[in-house]
Amino acid sequence: MILEILSIGLIVSACLALFQDEVHYAVGALAGTFLFISLIYALNGAIYGAVFQFAVGIGTLTVLFLSGEMLSEKTKNKTSPKKIAALITGGTVLSLPAIFIPITGTPTETSATALGEALWELRGMDIILQSIIVLTISLGIFIVLHGRKKKRGAN
Amino acid sequence: MNFIILSIILLIIGIYGLLTNRNLIKVFISLELIAIAATMNFVLFVVDQGLGEALLIIAFSTDTAVSAVILAVLVILSKKYGITDIDKIPKLIRKKEAINIEEEKQDEVVEE
Repeated sequence: MILEILSIGLIVSACLALFQDEVHYAVGALAGTFLFISLIYALNGAIYGAVFQFAVGIGTLTVLFLSGEMLSEKTKNKTSPKKIAALITGGTVLSLPAIFIPITGTPTETSATALGEALWELRGMDIILQSIIVLTISLGIFIVLHGRKKKRGAN
Repeated sequence: MNFIILSIILLIIGIYGLLTNRNLIKVFISLELIAIAATMNFVLFVVDQGLGEALLIIAFSTDTAVSAVILAVLVILSKKYGITDIDKIPKLIRKKEAINIEEEKQDEVVEE
């Protein structure tokens, strides 16, 4: 029951985020979308996924809120309560198929690789190589800049 | 609860928003919704939970890169032209090009 409510909330907040006129309220609705999807992940046992989604969502919202405040043109037209009610109703109706259509072809056998192990297998080596390259480049830049500074000091 | 249908609905909402909204911030929100719709399948419809979460984390890095590009475009547009509307951008660019051509012609006339 909780998952169904969360999925309705997810779709409704997504509709509100897209079709509200004011950017601030749209960003607020997007915050709801991130919160609902994080809760859905957490309830499905993907705690790390939920935490990462929430963290990335907070960062995105901060940037969006600041850019919306500083860069966008401010509209005088406010979204009417009728439109908000229509969006909420539309979102609820849209989320109904996800609740009532039964699941088919669900995998029966599941395996459980640890997140750390999976990340190491997928990205371990290339992250290490990237970090070695970045470290080498930064050390090189430091040495070059230090040499220039010494030359200027000598002159 | 059918998460594939939920993901498809979210994807449709995102694509509809992407096609109908002209504000760049709304376009950004649409892309975020599409990214959520795509990445939720890694976690909710996967055989291996750890692998799904690892793929989700990798997908976040791609998503963040896309967000950075869109924000850069937004900042450049609002600084250079003072707008965030996608439809107005080509007209403004053409106007600016026309003004530049006229200025070059006037300079040539003055030099002659």
